[in-house]
Amino acid sequence: MFSNDDYESVLLRIRALMMIMLGSLLFLGMVLWREQVLNAYKYETSLDRQSIRRVRLPAARGRLFDRNGVCMADNRPSYCLELYVEELRESGRISNTVDRIDHVVDEIAEVLGLIRQTARKDISMHLSKRRPMSLLAWKDLDQEALARWAESDVSMPGSSNYISGVDIYVEPVRCYPEGPTAAHILGYVGRVKKGQSGKDEDIDYYLPEMQGKRGIERVMNTTLAGEAGGKLLRVNASGFKYDEEKRDSLPAVAGMDIVLTIDMRIQRLLSKALKGKRGAAVILDPSNGDILALCSSPGFDPNDFSPSITQKQLDILVGGHKPLLNRAIAEVYPPGSIFKPVVALAALENKKATGSTSFNCPGYFALGRTRFRCWQKRGHGWIGLKKSIEQSCNSYYCQLGLRCGYEAIYHMASAIGLGQRTNVELGIKGVEPEARGLLPDDAWKRRVYKDAWRKGDTCNLSIGQGALNVTPIQMAVVSSALANGGKVYRPRLIMRDFAVGSNEETVSSGYLVNDLELSAETLRLVRGGMHDVIHAKSGTGKRAKIDGVEMAGKTGTAQYGARGSGKQHTWMIVFAPFNDPKYALAMIVENGDSGGRTVAPLIKEVMEGVFALEHDA
Amino acid sequence: MMHNQFMKRVHLFKRTCWPISFAVFLLLIIGVLFIYSACYISEGQEVQSYYKKQILWAFVGLLSYIFFSLFDYRRFKRIAVWLYAICLVLLVMVLMFGESRYGATRWLMISGVNVQPSELMKIGVLILLARIFSNPSVNMKDLRVFLFSWFLVFIPFALIRMQPDLGTAIILFPVSFVMMFVGGVPLKYLGFIVALAVACVALLLGLLVLPEKMGASEERQTAILNTIGLEDHQKHRILVFLNLDKDPLGSGWNKKQSKIAVGSGGAWGKGYCNGKQNILGFLPRSVAPTDFIYSVIAEEKGFMGSVIVLLLFGTIIGFGMQGAIIARDRMGRLLCAGVVTMLFTHVFVNIAMTVGLMPITGLPLPLLSYGGTFMVVVMSSLGIVQSVFVRSRRSDNFAHSSSKPMGYSGGIRKGIRHV
Repeated sequence: MFSNDDYESVLLRIRALMMIMLGSLLFLGMVLWREQVLNAYKYETSLDRQSIRRVRLPAARGRLFDRNGVCMADNRPSYCLELYVEELRESGRISNTVDRIDHVVDEIAEVLGLIRQTARKDISMHLSKRRPMSLLAWKDLDQEALARWAESDVSMPGSSNYISGVDIYVEPVRCYPEGPTAAHILGYVGRVKKGQSGKDEDIDYYLPEMQGKRGIERVMNTTLAGEAGGKLLRVNASGFKYDEEKRDSLPAVAGMDIVLTIDMRIQRLLSKALKGKRGAAVILDPSNGDILALCSSPGFDPNDFSPSITQKQLDILVGGHKPLLNRAIAEVYPPGSIFKPVVALAALENKKATGSTSFNCPGYFALGRTRFRCWQKRGHGWIGLKKSIEQSCNSYYCQLGLRCGYEAIYHMASAIGLGQRTNVELGIKGVEPEARGLLPDDAWKRRVYKDAWRKGDTCNLSIGQGALNVTPIQMAVVSSALANGGKVYRPRLIMRDFAVGSNEETVSSGYLVNDLELSAETLRLVRGGMHDVIHAKSGTGKRAKIDGVEMAGKTGTAQYGARGSGKQHTWMIVFAPFNDPKYALAMIVENGDSGGRTVAPLIKEVMEGVFALEHDA
Repeated sequence: MMHNQFMKRVHLFKRTCWPISFAVFLLLIIGVLFIYSACYISEGQEVQSYYKKQILWAFVGLLSYIFFSLFDYRRFKRIAVWLYAICLVLLVMVLMFGESRYGATRWLMISGVNVQPSELMKIGVLILLARIFSNPSVNMKDLRVFLFSWFLVFIPFALIRMQPDLGTAIILFPVSFVMMFVGGVPLKYLGFIVALAVACVALLLGLLVLPEKMGASEERQTAILNTIGLEDHQKHRILVFLNLDKDPLGSGWNKKQSKIAVGSGGAWGKGYCNGKQNILGFLPRSVAPTDFIYSVIAEEKGFMGSVIVLLLFGTIIGFGMQGAIIARDRMGRLLCAGVVTMLFTHVFVNIAMTVGLMPITGLPLPLLSYGGTFMVVVMSSLGIVQSVFVRSRRSDNFAHSSSKPMGYSGGIRKGIRHV
């Protein structure tokens, strides 16, 4: 026997052990308190970080209407076939799932009778890049394919061939019911490039989202796009979607509709008239500057851009005749004779001329050794102011310009809006800025040609040639100012829209830029001359004449390029009806024959249509 | 006669420690519930029905619990050596014909039931040591006894280590250590063991782990190893041999996910069957019902649930040690201390691993983790503790062996429950 039984010391050892053990459990309890109570938020964050994915939900894009409620830009449903990859998941390597989905796509292709839009590598790509999202295997299915799908037992739950995890997904696609008719006004949309919506850095996945690229779509993009929402997906450890987290999801706020000042009926007429030609035209309401129609030719079909455009199509659109270019606001042309009414206004308002001021036209005007030819080679003889407008006599205007001086012309042209942007809502900084045109003066000439302004420059300016450049919309404003007695309005395209986040309707009214306060006598003379352009037997614009409505106008044929190259743009400005003008129009056709022969018949066609509309209403 | 025998049994039950039985029963129920919660989401039919199998194991466990409560622990004196020997044979058989899972050979098919002999060995060693240390003819202060005891522990350790299952093998050390401590081995011997263990760990950590953790360059690490005569690949071999972190995905995945599960549970938890970490599979499905069952409980029931489980284990440990205090003899005392230490080590290492305080070792949580052999072993051990209670010092009436009361001083009365 050994003395192994010192009970007191053993008891002490056992008690110590018990204390150590219970103390250790207490320690674990304290650690748990720290982790589960004090640091819980940290681990919740980690859990969310590894299992929550944020998806940006684009809002429904606002629509565009003309002033009568005709829809110009809408969203049509595009039927897609989506595969819920998490339901088609196979255990084991991810390539097993790719195989399964690949097989399912083949099966569906057979049912739909369509070729596959999704290759095996697209499936792999989807599973590596967008695993929690559904895979759009087919886009833009036609009615026939949809019907075949709906009738097939593959889509019938309960049938033996049923494939779960396949569904129809409706994607909104931008569409333009009027096709190319108002293309340059509306512009088009394109897919938002990754990372372009840079403010949402915490977004993991994006759905296809459209963004205005040109035209009103671009200018009013913020209003039209609305506010994108977001949803949260809970993913499992393999990265597949587990469910949708309802908390914190943010519904998208649909974009606002916009009503334009365009009258689609007039727009169609204008578009038809310019078809097949290169040129542009703008029709304004002289009483407030509303753009009733705006057309540039050649045009394009904005529907080609949605949902996406092929590179081949795009190459056609950006090359050659530049169909994407909005010639009405972004291209400049020498105005030629349609500038003459402005010169007449300048002379009359500055008391440098009266209705009885006459000059002789021998068929040219000689300034030193330079001859400014009149189109009438025989000459007009002695000719008065009113007649000079009707006959568009170059000699007369060279002499009138020299009499009143280039400053007076410059100031009048500037006051009526030339040489400045009209600030129509279509100008897009960077992409398609509205052109300013060029109204030359002494300072300009000294800067560019290092030479002083000379009399020859004044003569050139007086007949709308030389360095003078204008945009069609500027000339429409000039036409409108002549029609309404001298009020220069800012052309207006957006009639009303709703600002995002407010219910207040913004109705912009006409914005008066300048009132020329023309005297009644001045107006009578210039308008009278313009009236005769169309209604006199010898009027240069008599081909624009229509039955039953009195109109006033001015034709123009502007040389461009090297002197004597024979290249010329043909113009006409018109307002009507003569006594109570409701339409002011400017139209240019590039490389035409002459204003009177090329443009006047087109204007006749348009105006007949316009007044026929009024007659019907 | 029959009547008397029955009354005697009933009387024995009255003398068991009811708080331990209560805690054990509650833990069994919690275990089954959360094994269901951990597995219901699984795709495999077999895994989904784990909870049913656990109910079966719990019943088998309860039967062995009752059996060993009634079984007089002193009878182990005769069979201790044989139990140990049988366990050793089984361990050798595992290495020869065992079934491999997850790259380790641990299971042995015995008449249709998969058995883990390494779990049985835990209690085999425990009973053998209790037998030796309680032998009055053994001088606990003798160094040869001390060394021989460690030899007896080291043989099964080596066999289990070869499976390989370092976690289970290492459990033998604290259990043996505590039994020596309670058995009366001089503190200087034990101190030497502690010093040795600390030195080994410090050396390994210092030379293999620390330079890397401190961000030393590859060349520098190699240089440090070269100074002690180790090549770089040998270091890797040693780490693999030590099996320090059983981590299937590397980069501490299980540990990280378990910490997130526990921490995100918060104060009140996410609700039963609603643990995101488990449902979404971040907590690997293969270990959720076994080694990481506590993560599931902590996530779904929060701090409250975690602490209730801790309190239940605390009850078993506290009252189990009480059993060691009031035990009738050295054998009972050593058995209680050994069983409680085994239980405590599992609980502590498992929960510490769950909250990220320890490397992943693969030790199950007693009574809660899914698994049959360990369940039966734990329930049997707790049955033995109850057997010690039943026959504790005041149970003279039922003493049917010749061993005399030990003649303890009156001070122990404090430790006796008044039934």
